[in-house]
Amino acid sequence: MRVGIPNFGNSYIAVKAAAQKLDAGDNELVIPPPMTRRTLDLGVKYSPVEACLPYKLTLGSLIEACELGADTLIHARGTGICRLGYYAKGQEQMLHDLGYNAHFLTIDISQHKFRSIMRLIKDVTNGAPWPKIISAFYFAVGKLFALDKIEKVVHKVRALEIDKGTASQIYQEAIRAIDGAPNQREVKKLTRHYVDRLSKIPKNPKASPIKVGIVGEIYVVIEPFSNMDIEVELGKLGVEVHRTMTISRWVKYSLFLNYLGINEWRGVHKLAMPYLDHDVGGDGWESVGEKVLYSRKGYDGLIHLAPFTCMPEIVAQNIMPSTKEDIPVLAVLCDEQMAKQGLITRLEAFVDLLEFRRKRRDGKRA
Amino acid sequence: MIKVGIPRALLYYQYYPAWETFFETLGAEVVVSPPTNKAMLNSGISRAVADTCLPVKILLGHAISLVDKCTCIFIPAVSSLGEKTYNCSKIIGLPNMARALIPECPAILDPVINVEKGRYSLYQNIYKLGRHFTSNPFKLRRAIAKAWKSNLAYRSRMFDEGIMPVQAIEGVFQERGQSEPGLNSSPLRIAVIGHPYVLYDEYISHRLISRLQNRRVEVFTPEMASQKAISAAARRLVGDPHWSFESDIIGAGEYYLEEEVDGVISVSVFGCGPDSMMIGFVQHRAKELEIPFLPLSLDEHSSEGGLLTRLEAFLDMVKRRERVCV
Repeated sequence: MRVGIPNFGNSYIAVKAAAQKLDAGDNELVIPPPMTRRTLDLGVKYSPVEACLPYKLTLGSLIEACELGADTLIHARGTGICRLGYYAKGQEQMLHDLGYNAHFLTIDISQHKFRSIMRLIKDVTNGAPWPKIISAFYFAVGKLFALDKIEKVVHKVRALEIDKGTASQIYQEAIRAIDGAPNQREVKKLTRHYVDRLSKIPKNPKASPIKVGIVGEIYVVIEPFSNMDIEVELGKLGVEVHRTMTISRWVKYSLFLNYLGINEWRGVHKLAMPYLDHDVGGDGWESVGEKVLYSRKGYDGLIHLAPFTCMPEIVAQNIMPSTKEDIPVLAVLCDEQMAKQGLITRLEAFVDLLEFRRKRRDGKRA
Repeated sequence: MIKVGIPRALLYYQYYPAWETFFETLGAEVVVSPPTNKAMLNSGISRAVADTCLPVKILLGHAISLVDKCTCIFIPAVSSLGEKTYNCSKIIGLPNMARALIPECPAILDPVINVEKGRYSLYQNIYKLGRHFTSNPFKLRRAIAKAWKSNLAYRSRMFDEGIMPVQAIEGVFQERGQSEPGLNSSPLRIAVIGHPYVLYDEYISHRLISRLQNRRVEVFTPEMASQKAISAAARRLVGDPHWSFESDIIGAGEYYLEEEVDGVISVSVFGCGPDSMMIGFVQHRAKELEIPFLPLSLDEHSSEGGLLTRLEAFLDMVKRRERVCV
C-alpha cells in the first residue's frame, strides 16, 4: 500500500514524521511534490468549473501523488455546510475517471476527529500497537508546534529586518531542519536554535510596523501557495502579520481540548454575536468575530482571505462592513486567475492607506 | 395589525403556503413582494458583495422593496432540515446578511430552523417567533398545526397534479400537458432540475419551463417526484446527503435518469456552492447512461438570446437522437 496525502501547509512534515516512527512494513508514504503551477493547472482542468480553490489544489496535489504511485489517499471529510463534505466523493470519482484506482481514507474533521484520525492510523499501519501510535503522534505534533512557533517569530522579524528576505530564508532552513530531525529532543533544540537566530537578525530599531491580522478560510490562510505568499509580501512591505489559525492550534484544540469542553473560538464567537449569532459553516463565524477582536486589540488592518465563491466567507464578507468596530479590511479572493503582481499592487495600496490612517490618528492625538 | 413582509425569493417557493397560513392564523397581515424585476435585482446587487450568488442578491432586492410596506420582514435562517444535513451557509446566514446590508430594514423575524438540534429547540424557536403575535400558546399551537397541514397539502398538490409551485401557490389549476401533441411526434420528456427559486423565478430563468412547454415538451421538475423516491435516488448517487435542497435536486436528476427521460436540463446560478459540486455527479451519471444533459448556469448577465439558442440546439439534438434510435 502506498499512501498519498494532499499538500496542506506544513502538514506533510507531521505525516512524514509519524510514518517514520511507525515504520509500517511494506506500507509506504507518498508525499506529492510542493505545489507548482502544474498542480493548479491539473486541479483546474479536472475539477468542476465552479469548485473552490482548495478543491482544485487538493485534487491537483492528489493527482501528483497518484503519478508517484500512490494507491491509497488520505483526505479530510466534514459533515457539512460547506463544499468540504463532497471533496473526497468528487475527487475519488475524478481520479477514477482518470484511471487511477485510488482508494480513499477520510478523516472526519467535523465530528469524532480524534477517533477518526486514530482509526486511520491504525488502518494504514496494519494495526500497530497503541503505545507506538501514541508516541509517533506525539512526535508528529511536536514538529507542527515547533514550526508554528518559529513562524510566529518570523512574522514579527520580517517586518523589522533591515536585509529583507533573511527571515524567510532562515524559516525555509528551519522547515528543512525540523523535517529531518530524528527525535523530539532534536526538534526542541532546533526550535531554540532558529528562534535565537531569528532574534539576532539586524533590525530597524526605530520602526513601529503596521500590524495586520489575517483571517479567513483555513486552507487559503495556511497554504502559502494558494495565497501567493501573502505573508512574505506583507513582510517585504514592512508589515507585521498576525494570524490565529495554524495547524498546531487546530490539533491542540480540535483533537484534545475540545473534548474537555474548551472551545478556542468561544470568545471570538461571542464577539461576533451582535452581527452573526450562529454558525454558518467553514470559518465564516470566526472571521466576523476576529474582525471585532483585531479591531479591539488595536491592529491597523485586516486581510480577509477566502477562496472565490466560498459560501461561509461570503456571508462573513457581507456582514463585516456593517460592524461597529472600525478597521480597514482587504478582502482577497483566491482563485486560479489571481496574479501576483496584481496582489502586490493591492497590498501596497492597502498598506499606504493604513499608514495614512495611522498618521492621521497620531496627528489628532498630538 | 402587524404586517409581515415575505420576500418572493429563495425559500418562498418551497414554504410560502405554510408561512402564510401561520401568520394569518395568528392574525397578522401578509404582504408579499411583487415578482422579481430589474429594479429589484439592481437594488440587491448594489448592496451585496460582488460574488454573492444571484438568489441572495434577489432576496435582498425583494426585502428592500418591502421596507416601507410592512412592520416586519420574515427571513428565517433554515439551517438544517434533517439529521446531519444542512443548508448552504448563505441560507443559514440570510437574516444576518439582510440586517447588515439593509440598515433601513424594519425588524427582521429570523427564527432559526434547525431540525438537527432536536425537537425541543425547534419548538422553542417557533414559539419565540410566535410571541411577536400572541402570548397564547394554544393559539400558536393551532397555527403551527394549520401551517404544517397547508404545507403538506401544497406538497401533495404539486405531486398529485403535477403542477408547478407558482400555480399551486396561486391556486390556478391547469391541465397537465395542455399542449396538443403534434401530428407524428410524441412529446419529448425532459427533466428540468434546479432550485425552485431559480426555476420558478421567471426573471432569472427567462421563463424556461413555459418555453419548453410551448415547444411541446413534457417537463418534469423535482416537485413532481415523490420525496421518498428522490431521497432513495440521492442516496444511490452520493451516499449520505449533506445538503438537503441539493440532494433533492440531484436525487430528482438521478430518479428521472433512471426513468429514462429523453434529456435532463440542470439550471443553476453562477456561484452556487452546493450546485457546483452536486450537478457534477448527475452529469457524470447522465454520461454513463448516455442521456443528453444540458447544464445551464445563469447569472445577472445571462441574456435571453443565448439561453434560447442553447435550448433550441439541445432540443434539436434530443429530437434527432430519438429519430436515429427509432
